[in-house]
Amino acid sequence: MRMNRITTILIFLTVTLAAYSCTGRPEGASQTDKEAAIFPDYKDVTVPANIAPLNFSVLGEKKAVLLAGDKAIKSRRGVFRFSPRKWRKLLESCADGGAIEMTVYTKKDGKWLSYRSFNIHVSQDRIDPWFSYRLIPPGYQGWQEMGIYQRNLETYSEKAILTNNLTGGNCMNCHTYRNGDPSKMVFHARASFGGTVMVNDGKVEKLNTQTDSTISALVYPYWHPSGEYVAFSVNKTLQAFYNHDPNRIEVYDQASDVVVYNVNSHEIAWSPQTKSEDRFETFPTFSPDGKWLYFCSAQAVSPMPDKHREVRYGLFRIAFNEENMTFGDCLECVYDAPAEGYSVSFPRISPDGRFLCFTRHGFGNFSIWHKDADLWLVDLQDGSVKPMQDVNSDDVDSFHTWSSDGRWMVFSSRRDDGLYTKPYFTHVDSEGNATKPFLLPQKDPAKYYKRQMKSYNLPAFTTDKVSVSKRKLTDVLRKSAGTDVKVK
Amino acid sequence: MNPYALAYREQQQLFIFDRTYLLGTLLKVGGLSTLLARFIVQFFWNPKVALVLTLLMLALSAYMTWAYVRESRKDWTTLPLSFIPAVFIGVSISDNSLHFDFLTSILLVQAGLLAFKSIKSKRTLWGTLLTIFLYFTAGPAAILFALCAAVNEKSLKSLCYPAVAAACGVIAYLTALVPTWTEAFTPVFHYDLDATMPLMHWGGWISLPATVLVCQMVKGLHFKRWPAFASGLVLLLLAFIPANKFSDKIKEGQPNLGAIFEHYTVNEDWDGLIKACKKAPWLPRTANYLNMALAWKGELAENLLKYDQHGPDGLVMTTQDRAVDVAQAHLMFAMGNVAAAQDVAFNTLSSLHGFCPAMLKINAQVELMRGSYEVADKYLSLLEKAPHYRKWAKEHRKYLYDDAAVEADPILGSGRLNLEAENHFIMYTNPMTELFPILDANPTDRRTLEYGLCYLLLAKDLNSVKHFIEDYYSSPDSPELPRIGQEAMVFYSEYSRNMEGVEPFGLDWCYEHGVQPETVNRFEEYKKAAVAGSSALRRFRETYWYYLVHKQI
Repeated sequence: MRMNRITTILIFLTVTLAAYSCTGRPEGASQTDKEAAIFPDYKDVTVPANIAPLNFSVLGEKKAVLLAGDKAIKSRRGVFRFSPRKWRKLLESCADGGAIEMTVYTKKDGKWLSYRSFNIHVSQDRIDPWFSYRLIPPGYQGWQEMGIYQRNLETYSEKAILTNNLTGGNCMNCHTYRNGDPSKMVFHARASFGGTVMVNDGKVEKLNTQTDSTISALVYPYWHPSGEYVAFSVNKTLQAFYNHDPNRIEVYDQASDVVVYNVNSHEIAWSPQTKSEDRFETFPTFSPDGKWLYFCSAQAVSPMPDKHREVRYGLFRIAFNEENMTFGDCLECVYDAPAEGYSVSFPRISPDGRFLCFTRHGFGNFSIWHKDADLWLVDLQDGSVKPMQDVNSDDVDSFHTWSSDGRWMVFSSRRDDGLYTKPYFTHVDSEGNATKPFLLPQKDPAKYYKRQMKSYNLPAFTTDKVSVSKRKLTDVLRKSAGTDVKVK
Repeated sequence: MNPYALAYREQQQLFIFDRTYLLGTLLKVGGLSTLLARFIVQFFWNPKVALVLTLLMLALSAYMTWAYVRESRKDWTTLPLSFIPAVFIGVSISDNSLHFDFLTSILLVQAGLLAFKSIKSKRTLWGTLLTIFLYFTAGPAAILFALCAAVNEKSLKSLCYPAVAAACGVIAYLTALVPTWTEAFTPVFHYDLDATMPLMHWGGWISLPATVLVCQMVKGLHFKRWPAFASGLVLLLLAFIPANKFSDKIKEGQPNLGAIFEHYTVNEDWDGLIKACKKAPWLPRTANYLNMALAWKGELAENLLKYDQHGPDGLVMTTQDRAVDVAQAHLMFAMGNVAAAQDVAFNTLSSLHGFCPAMLKINAQVELMRGSYEVADKYLSLLEKAPHYRKWAKEHRKYLYDDAAVEADPILGSGRLNLEAENHFIMYTNPMTELFPILDANPTDRRTLEYGLCYLLLAKDLNSVKHFIEDYYSSPDSPELPRIGQEAMVFYSEYSRNMEGVEPFGLDWCYEHGVQPETVNRFEEYKKAAVAGSSALRRFRETYWYYLVHKQI
């Protein structure tokens, strides 16, 4: 008797749930040529075949139906939520590189209205399943909570790699991996329990990177493909807040140099070309074959910040010999941005070595606070330079990293509200053509992003989950005296 | 216990009815106690309510201690002793660096003890489960539960409770749910991350199991009722001696004046703020608050010298520190330097335990002024989820995406004009340098105008006052030159004739720039009084002449 009652309840619940989540295509809907207002804007974006469900909201509508492929989905408070199974089937239906056709229906005055359909293109280039980022208030100097997190792109799962409540509320930044390898990671912690943390194949080490010969502790890192070296900049960085400027904040260097750190000998070395008195050198990056060190360099000006609008960085490279940690004699200019009245930052080369992506903006180097910052590509085969037109927006489009296969790129953008940075993903083909980017999927994106009071900072792909434990990282930062970095 | 210090806690958090917030808080070690604390503290915007609620919670704590240690409902002998932990907790809770969940965690532990007392069967199992439950909902205070339960049971089996609590602490440490062993096992868990907890806060923790232990011992000795009650009373009174010392120490390290001033500021009770400032000893920060209250009342220039003033620091403390400073944010906002206000308010907003509501309000207002409606919407949505701020947030919704409404609002519209000032870095030089471009952009902002004039007057920089009047009080649309400005110029015109390096100017200039003849007449009287002596000068104490001659800066 009792079992029967339970069975009845279960059947009732199943039927109710099924009826709730699935629905038929609205009959007799009138059509409009207008596009539905949706958030995030997933219209005609290209997504990888292994991405988490792209749930989205119809703005201003509570009753809506979505026809995705041949499946109709009813909105819940205006949000279309795909079940993982249903979403996977939709992606699988595009195994030949097709697209999912989406048609939004809304009900007004008892009548259904069908908006112009749009496609979500599905690329068979799979994306690295994890990416990590720092979550931090988009401010200015204060924070109580910040942390480095990782997110599975195939699901909605987010885990903290390290949060600063474990390390005295300090600042942590610049997490970087060797071509997406989660076992080779470096990041900095500042203030109390400060130091540079090097994770190298399970070994976790704290480094004290301030030396008598360098102007600061090591800053912006980039791994050499061999894993034997990491290039860093050293920067005397300050920031100031504008009275009235769309960019609000200016972060500027009063001096900076580029050095290379040897992971095994704990030594740093530099070339006179990367550490000169009359230039600001910063944002180093190695070429995928490890033979070149690229970096941004600007004519030094003084006094700062009075002349901060005169600082313009060009893109340069110098040969690097990994056998003996030495540099070439000749500095090559890759892109003379100052000659065109611009400045470049954050050079990153695709894993196949064909393209170098950088951020271009009017002046200075901290592009996340520059609304004119856009992503540009240098074709390293012929030296041609072009903007990533389908990727850029009217607001900040800045820090970017390539996926391990070079087919995807993640970058930071402030296109949605002008302040809180969000991660966008774009597909880049072998000729450097990028598709319309899509925002990191969430279960209820409109609600999530409105509630999110932190910016996604320094997005970086990893091929797998970062497995080093928070405890290990915390203990190293809190307890280890750290290894002093020496000058070669 | 200072009710204003308690009320200040309300400004260090924002309790919001939001699933992400509630779940995010609950899923941390001690999450339930944190959530309870934040829920209660949201009502602390009224200091009296804050005090009453806290006292009620302390009384509840004392009652629960008594309910746990007494043998029967008629057992009054242990009542005085039961108040001892509450006394220590009450003292500790006055320290704003000790989070309010210090108290709620102990209440949860005491509720757990009472529940455990009523369980008759499978006590070891229940005791173990309760210890685990309490560790993850109330934090390391679960150790208190384990110790009290073990002391009360006095059996070998009961030792497993402290062992389980210790195991929970080890797990919390190893899984990085807590930063250090200290946080895993001590009340430091409830203290500010970057501060060292004073030893006195152990009082509330130690006294709970100690009370249980003493009561157990007393029961064994079979004392008569009244002598036992009296001894307990004596012990309670003795507990007040160290408690009082601790309380003084907390007051030393944390003067409560700032909390009082902030209370009146966030509630925009300007008369209350003036009253509170008048009672306090003169300090630049006190004067900053007082003058800000005058500015919001539109009486800064008019009534400035009715109060004790000692230089421009009393108007605004010059600092280039843009970190956590609620007072600085309020001051900059009142002065019309809204970009600086936002900079400091954002830093402060992100630096406290949760979102500081007053700072969130300033940020929402400045975003509306900027026309960054998406960001303003974000902040207003957050405030709408907090019952006390819902109305304010809803009222400000009407400005979203409506430039005309923003421009018509006296505060937002004026702030928008102020933001049009020539571009420069804020808080880079000094507050006065930043006011000039703001005034050039928006000479109609009366608060900014009066701040500018008063700053120069308090600095006794009469030449700059003269230029300021020429620049900002000389057009047909300019407001009337305030009395103290007139007084300054009459004085300066007379003395400019004998001062080296100063271009002399006469009363004609004064009359052309808003000086009234009666001011000139009064100056003649002042000069006579100055010759006559101090008693004759009394009626000129509120004049600029008196300030200029007799006040040191």
